[in-house]
Amino acid sequence: MHERLSYYVKRDSALHHLNPLTKIILALSLILISFISPWYWTALFILLVLIVPLCFVGKVSKEYFKSALRLIIPASGFIFFMQAFFQPIGQTVIFKFWFLDVTQESLAFAFRVATRIAVMISAFTLLLLTTHPSELMSDLTRRGLPGQFAYVIISTLQILPQMQAKAQTIISAQRSRGLDTESTFLKRAGSLLPLVGPLVFGSLIEVEERAIAIEARGFTSTHTKTSLHDISDTSFDNFLRWILIVLVIVTGALKIWLS
Amino acid sequence: MLDKIKKDFTTMTWVLIPVAIAINIAIGQIVVLLKLPVYLDSIGTVLVGIICGPWAGALTGALSNTVWGLFNPDSLPWWPVALFIGLVAGLCANAGLFKNWWKVILSGFLIALTAAITSTPISVYLYGGITASGSSFITAYLLQTGQGVVSAVLSTGFLVEPVDKITTAMLAFAIVQGLSKRLIARFPRPENAQVEEGNNTTQLVIALVVVVVVVILGFFVRNMLAS
Repeated sequence: MHERLSYYVKRDSALHHLNPLTKIILALSLILISFISPWYWTALFILLVLIVPLCFVGKVSKEYFKSALRLIIPASGFIFFMQAFFQPIGQTVIFKFWFLDVTQESLAFAFRVATRIAVMISAFTLLLLTTHPSELMSDLTRRGLPGQFAYVIISTLQILPQMQAKAQTIISAQRSRGLDTESTFLKRAGSLLPLVGPLVFGSLIEVEERAIAIEARGFTSTHTKTSLHDISDTSFDNFLRWILIVLVIVTGALKIWLS
Repeated sequence: MLDKIKKDFTTMTWVLIPVAIAINIAIGQIVVLLKLPVYLDSIGTVLVGIICGPWAGALTGALSNTVWGLFNPDSLPWWPVALFIGLVAGLCANAGLFKNWWKVILSGFLIALTAAITSTPISVYLYGGITASGSSFITAYLLQTGQGVVSAVLSTGFLVEPVDKITTAMLAFAIVQGLSKRLIARFPRPENAQVEEGNNTTQLVIALVVVVVVVILGFFVRNMLAS
């Protein structure tokens, strides 16, 4: 039930000093390229030649491999097996099991989908490991994202651990007065409301107080807000962003041209 | 139009959205703990849709998946589905479909149809139809029987989504009814949550006919896709 909410690790590296927007564009363009590229090995290539070395550049390789073991390998592995067994494509049967058959073509397809998913999760993990959420939000606000959006994201990240702790307390409290959370299906379904009710009502009642509190701190003010933190944005960042965007467009054009 | 949308985004709305997202995630985890065969991860989104309007609901859905993606990147690509769930919930509420129990079931059904339709292209394009969720076993079985990918994924969606989304709509309705009238009146659309008195049988019959027609049309479209 308790998950770590922020992956961010504070280190001093070139990747940490990049502008947050550059890192978002980097992650998104790697994902887009791996999905639209017509070349079969693109996703694996991006994963091994770009993302893994970037982890070393960002000095977060240990954390990256940890999350790879915990999240990336299970997720893409599961998808690989599902696809390999269940895709009904191809004729060259490698082996049969009940009504399922694994063919050469379905294995190839499964590998492609799995590596793409691995790139998607890895790119975001890398972004989250090297970028603090509030740094990201204040940079985006500076570029014109309405402050309310930043409030929603940051505030959710703060409320969520509290809410999870509260849920845990409610579950323990209801269990201690004999609520059945483990036996038959009907009993488990019936115990949903006594758990959800207190959690939801408790947190909704706080909404009004919170609204008054932030209104008193100028939430609805239309003046330009100043930031306490200075976020670096060099000409190299700008250059990198354009290169990445051009690469995505070139890949898209290649895909259309080749098909 | 834009002014109308702006009117839905009061400070109360902006404060409710993070709480709703946290409710989505916390209830989603409670359901996993109780080992129930549903997700129920959009109760907060539907709640915002009811009391703050469709656009606030849509925003809650989209941001919900974005925030969830921060520690579970697998849920990121599904944000358009959550967006449409919030939007349709809000539109249903504006049309007065969150005022008594059978209307809520109807809204749940409409939300389920939307979710099934919007998740199909994502599932087909990103995962080739077979995702990491348990319902993919049904998709896989349908694929083995020789159906096309799109129709297999759509059929699975139509089979699985209604149970989940009708329960979600009912729970959101129960929560709204449980809140005090004074608190609800502070949100932009308190009129959506007012309970209708008396039973209107004609409306119920019309609604049932509409549902039956939609189901028959759905099968018709599916068969057209399959052939």
